[in-house]
Amino acid sequence: MMEGVIDRGIAEIIRDEMIMHDKIISILKDDPKTIPEIAEALGYPSHEVVYWVMAMWRYGKIEETTAKPNADGYFMYKVK
Amino acid sequence: MNYDVLIVGGGIAGMESALTLGDMGLKALLIEKEPSIGGKMVLLSKVFPTLDCASCISTPKMASTIHHPNVTIMTSSEIRKIAKNGDGAFKALINRKSTYVDNNACTGCGECEAACTVALPDRFNFGMVAHRAAYIPFPQAVPKKAVINRQGQSPCSNVCPAGVKAHGYVSLVRSGRYDEAFHLHMEDAPLPGSLSRACYAPCENACTRSDLEGSVDIRRIKRFMVDHYYSAHSEPEYGTPEKLSDKRIAIVGSGPAGLSAAYHLGRKGYHIKIFEREEQAGGMLRYAIPAYRLPKDIVDRDIKNITALGVEIETNTNITSVASLKEQGFDTVFLAVGTYETWKMNLPGEDLDGVMDCMGFLSKANTGKISDLSGKTVVVVGGGNSAIDPARLALRMGAEKVIILYRRTRKEMPAHEWEIQAAIDEGADLMILKTPRRFIGSNGRLVKVEVLRMELGEPDDSGRRRPVPVKGSEHSIDVDLAVLAIGLRPSTDSFTDQLKINRNETFRVNPETLETNIPSVFAGGDGVTGPAMIVDAIGQGKRAAFYINRYLQGESLDNIEFDSRLSIADKYDVLSNRGAISKRMQIVAVEPPPSQRVKTSEEVEKCMTEEEARYSANRCLDCGNCSECGECIKACPADAVHFDMQPEEIEIEADSVIVSTGFKLFDAHLKTNYGYGKYPNVVTAMQMDRLVSPTKPFNRTLRPSDGKAPDNIAFVLCTGSRDCTIDNPICSRVCCMYSIKQAELIMGALPLADITIYYIDIRAFGKGYEEFYKQAKEMGVYFVKGRVAKIELVEDGNLSVFYEDIDGGSGPQQMEHDLVVLSVGLLPNMDALHLFNNGDRLEADAYSYVKEINEDIDPTRTSIDGVFAAGTTSAARDIPDSILHAGAAAAQAAGYIHQLKASR
Ligand SMILES: Cc1cc2nc3c(=O)[nH]c(=O)nc-3n(C[C@H](O)[C@H](O)[C@H](O)COP(=O)(O)OP(=O)(O)OC[C@H]3O[C@@H](n4cnc5c(N)ncnc54)[C@H](O)[C@@H]3O)c2cc1C
Ligand code: SF4
Ligand code: SF4
Repeated sequence: MMEGVIDRGIAEIIRDEMIMHDKIISILKDDPKTIPEIAEALGYPSHEVVYWVMAMWRYGKIEETTAKPNADGYFMYKVK
Repeated sequence: MNYDVLIVGGGIAGMESALTLGDMGLKALLIEKEPSIGGKMVLLSKVFPTLDCASCISTPKMASTIHHPNVTIMTSSEIRKIAKNGDGAFKALINRKSTYVDNNACTGCGECEAACTVALPDRFNFGMVAHRAAYIPFPQAVPKKAVINRQGQSPCSNVCPAGVKAHGYVSLVRSGRYDEAFHLHMEDAPLPGSLSRACYAPCENACTRSDLEGSVDIRRIKRFMVDHYYSAHSEPEYGTPEKLSDKRIAIVGSGPAGLSAAYHLGRKGYHIKIFEREEQAGGMLRYAIPAYRLPKDIVDRDIKNITALGVEIETNTNITSVASLKEQGFDTVFLAVGTYETWKMNLPGEDLDGVMDCMGFLSKANTGKISDLSGKTVVVVGGGNSAIDPARLALRMGAEKVIILYRRTRKEMPAHEWEIQAAIDEGADLMILKTPRRFIGSNGRLVKVEVLRMELGEPDDSGRRRPVPVKGSEHSIDVDLAVLAIGLRPSTDSFTDQLKINRNETFRVNPETLETNIPSVFAGGDGVTGPAMIVDAIGQGKRAAFYINRYLQGESLDNIEFDSRLSIADKYDVLSNRGAISKRMQIVAVEPPPSQRVKTSEEVEKCMTEEEARYSANRCLDCGNCSECGECIKACPADAVHFDMQPEEIEIEADSVIVSTGFKLFDAHLKTNYGYGKYPNVVTAMQMDRLVSPTKPFNRTLRPSDGKAPDNIAFVLCTGSRDCTIDNPICSRVCCMYSIKQAELIMGALPLADITIYYIDIRAFGKGYEEFYKQAKEMGVYFVKGRVAKIELVEDGNLSVFYEDIDGGSGPQQMEHDLVVLSVGLLPNMDALHLFNNGDRLEADAYSYVKEINEDIDPTRTSIDGVFAAGTTSAARDIPDSILHAGAAAAQAAGYIHQLKASR
């Protein structure tokens, strides 16, 4: 798994979402985090984490903490 | 069914034609292959040049179409074939796919989607986010109804003789829903603990992953799920059903078949009594399978699943007469007597003390009636699994030497290879190409076995080479105990005078209903199939329960299908259509070393950890998409999900046909130098339209590599258009304008972002388009004339765009961006060309669009009289042009219909 390059099938990355839920929830339990921070905590590339975080956002498991991104352009996410 | 016009394709063009014709009082049938009408337009953000919201314009049209009294819509439907009749009208065969959701009941609440355990790429968001196997296509869908994505039944579930939804519980374990996984199993089979240890797992043989690094460890995942549940629930959570029937059922035999039938019938409230001739219930689970493979407390706990329903088990009762059961007042009987006898070898000395049949030995050993074989030599005759169990058991009982004697070679042994290896590892000697000739005794006790050497001759009926004795090869082995495991025989002896029995001594039954020659008496399990697997017997019990219930309800047993299953998902499709699949190895089973495990009768295999079970479950490829976990069925408040819904074949007639099947998008992967599919921040314009739409897949307009709000975005125009290298020399007409539209929208959403459009020349030909282009320039969009040669990854997911600066004259240049949008072109949807029977050919133009025979003066008319093309079916068009064109097609169709009617 390489940062910046898609080197796995999208369908496989998406399938992984179901085992990532609990891990991401526990990472966000105490402090909200940006996607690169979640990626670092999980040990997976950010572009894969985008799939999982966005699906969790879509299905109401997490939400962004602010209406605007931070100065670096990132949103923080927290457990809903 | 008769209509005036059949319209194929429910995009903006198809809807426009349908509404126009409907308003004229003509009856239109609109067929759409997707679950919603609306085509691509409803998925767009806004439309150029007015920047009106695309879904705000589309949705009223979609609603008018579905509610129009003269328009009938069939979504999730496809044309099989259209043929023209001699009278100028058309006949069409339509396949209405099953969505597994009752549209009359579904309220579109999305509860099923939220509960679903399978994540799939959302094609309505062009793969940028996941949706579920149970899904509502998009928020503005019309009809807004859920759909279940079932592409056949996953192989693992499809091959299970008991109909256990292996894929279902695997996907539930993957999601961490262990109790739900257990309950799903219990819907089909009541002995999950025993199966989790001793099932030969046909699901794993069928598993698609077995064609890669090895199957998903379905059985061991089940073991985890069962142990998790049983450790928290020493007793079942249910009791006797509330509504009890006064009908009484006798079941003979408490093995898996009997227990399974009792469970399924017990749940229906019947009064059930199982008669068992042995001291304890469980059949082979108790008496044949050794505790090191299947601990007996697990069997006990499994049996509680049945007795909790109020099922009585009377042990030590040997039933020999069906009539006596009838006399006791039982309304029906199920014989599940198994195969407890062993075929005789008919050799001299077979009756000696010390020569035992396989079941005799196993049952005594498993109940502690023989427990110590210290210092003894044991020979087991046979090569099947029933020979391996006594051998391994004898080693655990201290036997000094255990020999497995088999008349062919190891390759021909019917036992599983891993079981043979385990026996050898634990110390058993495998003597192949040998067979006993006689058993030699002293004072009535076995002391020697005389054996003959064999060699392999010609293949027999089973395809295996026949063993042929080698003359003069007799020699003898000193032994204390011989166990004959040459095959098990049905325990049907007591019933031969009452019921029809086959030559192989199994009960003769109707293979569908399992009814014997006596109505009201059913039989199943090994007693019917011959020696098979636990899960086969459980399946037989379930089948018998289904027909016994019908019998007791006075319903016919004829022509009623039990357990109808969706056809099996195609492994090849799964492996070829799911994108790259990474190597994920199986978790190696933890077992104590052979020297240690042979000293105890403790269970050999250890349970997976939670982490291992979820990892293993996540190796699953979701072959059929939907896993049949049933969570959607449970979650739906309207009881709208029905997995037994069938597709329909519908034949209709129509006077005219409008083809409005739209366009396809250029596949950006084909421009390999642009890095689409490789670099996360290279997206297509269709994806960008989703990213800036009100129903965007992300919480804001963010780049896919890391969720950052992009601030330097490039558009690469003519990706897949005006490009001979990919065989599409023509202009797609909309890419310039939609790119400018997206640029303006991004400027609204991300005011600080820099936007560059790389173009060949800007085609702003329509009303207000030139002004729109100028407006973008004034807003600060930077236009660079020059074709992009390649895109490369630089740091932080950013991309370097290589281009030629034609206007600036500075030659080849390079510019860094943090998101690149490929303005992909429109291509013909060639499916349209195959809608008609060969006799009536819909001709294509030079670029494979549906040909309009005389476009200039007779638009929309195709090569088939009475068939008209609408929208992008015949050329790349924007929305206003598509709508105009669809209006023209409607007018042409109305004219044709009018003439046809007048000629009748
Ligand atoms: C990124 C992008 C942005 C765009 N933005 C704009 C814009 O802002 N303004 C604008 O004017 N235009 C825009 N366009 C162009 C616009 O999308 C098209 O003009 C419009 O969608 C054409 O409508 P249609 O009905 O011909 O085709 P489609 O929208 O493709 O609809 C065809 C329908 O037919 C169905 N179908 C196909 N085959 C079958 C079959 N065999 N049986 C049954 N059903 C079938 C399809 O599922 C689909 O629902 C854009 C295009 C793209 C790619
Ligand atoms: S059965 Fe399970 S996997 Fe299938 S659609 Fe329903 S919830 Fe999803
Ligand atoms: S990959 Fe999954 S769904 Fe496919 S057969 Fe194996 S366990 Fe079943």
